[in-house]
Amino acid sequence: MSFQTIVNPPPESSSGVFPTLVFVQGNEQRIINLDHSPFSVGRKVDKDLVIADPRVSRDHALIVSENGQFSVVDQGSKHGTFVNGERIQQKNLERNDRLEFGVREVAYVIFNPLHGTTNSAREFLSQISGMHISDETTDLEKLILFLEAARKLNTVGVLDEILMTLLDVTLKLTRAERAYVFMKNEQGELRLAAGRNSKSEPLLEDTTISHSILEDALKSNSEFVLTDTSRSLDLTGRKSIVAYDLRTVICVPLRKPQVQTTRDTDSPAPAIAAEAMGALYVDSRFASRDISGVSNDILHAIATEAASLIENARLVQAEESSRRYQQELSIAASIQQRLMAVTIPEVPFARLSGRNLSCKEIGGDFFDAVNTDAGLTVVLADVSGKGVSAALLASTLQGMIYSQLTAGMPLTDIVTAVNRFFTAKHIGEKYATVLIARVSDAGQLEYVNCGHIPPLVVSAGKVERPSDANLPVGLLPDAKYESAHYQLKTGDRLVLVTDGVTEAENAKGDFFEDSRLEVAAQIGGLEDIFAAISDFCCGTPLSDDCTVVELVYTG
Amino acid sequence: MSLKVETRQVNGISVVTCHGRIVLGEEAAGLRETLKKVLASSRQVVLNLAGVDYIDSSGLGTLVGVYSSARAGGADIKLTGVGQRLRDVLQITKLVTVFEVYDTEQEALASFDRSRK
Repeated sequence: MSFQTIVNPPPESSSGVFPTLVFVQGNEQRIINLDHSPFSVGRKVDKDLVIADPRVSRDHALIVSENGQFSVVDQGSKHGTFVNGERIQQKNLERNDRLEFGVREVAYVIFNPLHGTTNSAREFLSQISGMHISDETTDLEKLILFLEAARKLNTVGVLDEILMTLLDVTLKLTRAERAYVFMKNEQGELRLAAGRNSKSEPLLEDTTISHSILEDALKSNSEFVLTDTSRSLDLTGRKSIVAYDLRTVICVPLRKPQVQTTRDTDSPAPAIAAEAMGALYVDSRFASRDISGVSNDILHAIATEAASLIENARLVQAEESSRRYQQELSIAASIQQRLMAVTIPEVPFARLSGRNLSCKEIGGDFFDAVNTDAGLTVVLADVSGKGVSAALLASTLQGMIYSQLTAGMPLTDIVTAVNRFFTAKHIGEKYATVLIARVSDAGQLEYVNCGHIPPLVVSAGKVERPSDANLPVGLLPDAKYESAHYQLKTGDRLVLVTDGVTEAENAKGDFFEDSRLEVAAQIGGLEDIFAAISDFCCGTPLSDDCTVVELVYTG
Repeated sequence: MSLKVETRQVNGISVVTCHGRIVLGEEAAGLRETLKKVLASSRQVVLNLAGVDYIDSSGLGTLVGVYSSARAGGADIKLTGVGQRLRDVLQITKLVTVFEVYDTEQEALASFDRSRK
């Protein structure tokens, strides 16, 4: 069917920052970010990649990273680890290597390090950052140019490229060894978003990053924290600084700009009070360069620009995902429409027609018709509320009622079962009004009305409203349901509506009401009723679905 | 938000008065929260709906939901100020058999006095 293509996941689901593993098992394919090392593979459930196959050992293999080089190490597995079909103990990995763990062919992993070389957004960014600018242009101006350009580059999925290019530019300007961006996740924990070294190689989370300085920087109100460890005496608790000879650490909290910050670098510091959404972390070791002399101007520029840059990119991503969500919703709506598409049974003793006028949102109205030995049965229901939740409930309700009708169950038993089902599921305050009416070939009408608008019986030009009612389904678990009976004469019409009809509003805020419905039903059929509603509303959009069903008993 | 909810105490009975529309969204949710809070400290509640001009199906679901959980917790909510429209809806949905509805707030309050004796 045509929506197959829309439901497929977007092809670009790898982040681009970390090397990726493409895990293929049968028809399924999964992209895994290699964001830490070692990365474990095996049958045990605590592995990073679990392959549930008896030929895979519990602790099968590790994928480890050392100085940017990835390799796979067999952990003494029974059926072996294979790279490109060759059994190995340990092997360095190259792009597109095929890894198999014990089980061959059925499940395998493609090692696909890093983003593709044809990444246009990234290429564009690096062109900007390396573009020919006159010699008088300072590094700072270059940086600002780059940031300006990146800001305008509102391409989907550009966040990762922006992060990496930001890191590259920062490394170039500060002459530091390593640079990382950490972003807070929904729980407020700092997670590595991207890491680069001065050779533009990707870096993973590393124990040598000073997390205590990161925490300090986030807590502090300053624009950036520059720690020169050779001058700082208090190094207690700063394990990584001592252990890894870190000389200089620069940490720039990334704060969501509260006001539009000006591009003018002479202007005072940006909004300080905003909570940090992450941090840019740059460091160098004792043994290498001293970066404590980095110009304050550069750090200032990075601090003010980087956050709004990332925020912009995030907004673009949010927009994209909301667009996707909208698309999903419209798919849901079309599925709903198909479910509600009723094939009206042809019977010799009655003529049935039904029409639904949907308001903008997905609603909870549905109608159905089933022909059995006992007669022609019409179901009309309205689930409270709107949107996907109402539609879900309507679909479930429709399925339950349909299957019990075709099984020949009495009408009261059907609604009792449905009520018990919905109240037992504790679906909150959602409920449904339901009307099931069955007409036999002899014109005997049996109906059970569960909180629904009373049916209209138009007989010899007069409208009757049999008012026998029961509680809606889904509200009270011990509700009792009774059906009512009525004898139809040849030519009698049974009209059923949902409350979207009687509560259709005009511009003045008046409702269509039962009285207008009765007049319209008395004069004519389905089309006349809809015409009367549309005359009354006079262009005011519907706030609820309108469904009208008409059954004419022809004898 | 087009619903205003006020709570006052009359002889140890909580009287919750609503003005506006009880409809899907923050109106129904707001009323639910208020009633939950009131029920946490009071077992006798009169809900005066005289100022309510419209209740949609979700609003009705909220009323029944709060009412059922109040009854389950040994508390009681009595309705008053029920306009013709809501009265019709309660009739159609048979919920008139579930709620206790009184014509005036005095009568609703008095019904609690009677049940105390």
